[in-house]
Amino acid sequence: MAGQTDHSLSIFSAAEVEFIAEDEMIEIVPNIRMDALNLLCGDFGPFVPQIPCTVPLWLAVALKKRGKCSIRTPDWMSVEKLTQVLEAERESPREFQPLPFHYVEISRLLLDHAHDDIPEVYMVRSLIEDIRNVRFHKVESGLETISGRTHAVKLKNLSAMEVNLVRPFMARVLQAFYKHDSPEMVQQADTSASKRPQVVDRGPRRDLRPR
Amino acid sequence: MPGYYDISDILMEDEAVSVAFHVGANGVGLLDPGTETNSVEKGAKIDLPFWLAHELCRRRAVSITIPSCFGQKMKKDVQADAACVDLGTRYPYFYEFGCKLFPLVGDKSIGLFLRHTFANRYKEMLSKSHTASLNAIPKFVLRLSKEEYQLFEAARSSMVEFKKWRVRDLGLMKTTIVGHKRKTDLH
Repeated sequence: MAGQTDHSLSIFSAAEVEFIAEDEMIEIVPNIRMDALNLLCGDFGPFVPQIPCTVPLWLAVALKKRGKCSIRTPDWMSVEKLTQVLEAERESPREFQPLPFHYVEISRLLLDHAHDDIPEVYMVRSLIEDIRNVRFHKVESGLETISGRTHAVKLKNLSAMEVNLVRPFMARVLQAFYKHDSPEMVQQADTSASKRPQVVDRGPRRDLRPR
Repeated sequence: MPGYYDISDILMEDEAVSVAFHVGANGVGLLDPGTETNSVEKGAKIDLPFWLAHELCRRRAVSITIPSCFGQKMKKDVQADAACVDLGTRYPYFYEFGCKLFPLVGDKSIGLFLRHTFANRYKEMLSKSHTASLNAIPKFVLRLSKEEYQLFEAARSSMVEFKKWRVRDLGLMKTTIVGHKRKTDLH
């Protein structure tokens, strides 16, 4: 893990983020008959062959591994949609396109376990890789504009895995900048304690304090 | 903020600073190698560790002179190229030391100087730290101070861990993912 001596910055490992992502619902088409599953997280209706139903991702992957169902790709994972998203990402240098929060983890799980259920799987895989790269470059170039005045950073529509990637670095950078500025500014609340995925960025801001 | 128990804080406070005594002090001739009697004269210039100088300064017994790492030569170096200044070997505790020193010394420009240095080096560090691989340690890492090194380490280890997660359980399929890494330029 990204271990560090500063214990106030706790982080998730990639496997933990994936675990959380597995709670997302997805459609499957079972090919067996099974009774309803009554689980703590919900009831998943009796499984009838060829009738699609919605289950959590972890259950879908488990059934798929045993050959009991086939997974229906979510809408956003079609080649057309992904190409559109990639074009839009390349066009807007500062904004991120809305994508499902866990798209990285979901796409990885599906591409690993259900690649025969996805049409044009190689195209989809390379498109998702490209999207990820473009977004990450945007994050990096956005980070370059942090100066001493930034109190918080906003990254709209960033996905869970991307956030987890930059979280330790960004938190420490903000802390370092804050520390260097403190003799010159009035004491303020420590921004590095915010760990929510959406944080505020407005680059060079108007100062609210009289200088 | 680092506190009483933080090891890097303790190590940092061991840096020597040159001080000038305002008062004479008896029984501490150990500090001044050039003295005959067991005392320090008023006005003597001695090198003390920072933790001692800090306390004495608070009691107004000494006045601290700015060490060379914040002097004119350093400022010129930083202005020339901040990223190339070798903080790792010469002054690993550059920033922490400066922050502690700042309230004690009369020179108010140290704070700005620190920030300016940090901001410039940060830009260079940003891209390199994310793309650095696990084994190869780029040379510029040796030039980072302790604080910057922690930043670098945080970015690099989270990146490496993410990559490991991606190719986990793929076995033979590894090449399909790795082969798609190419430079994308933003328009």
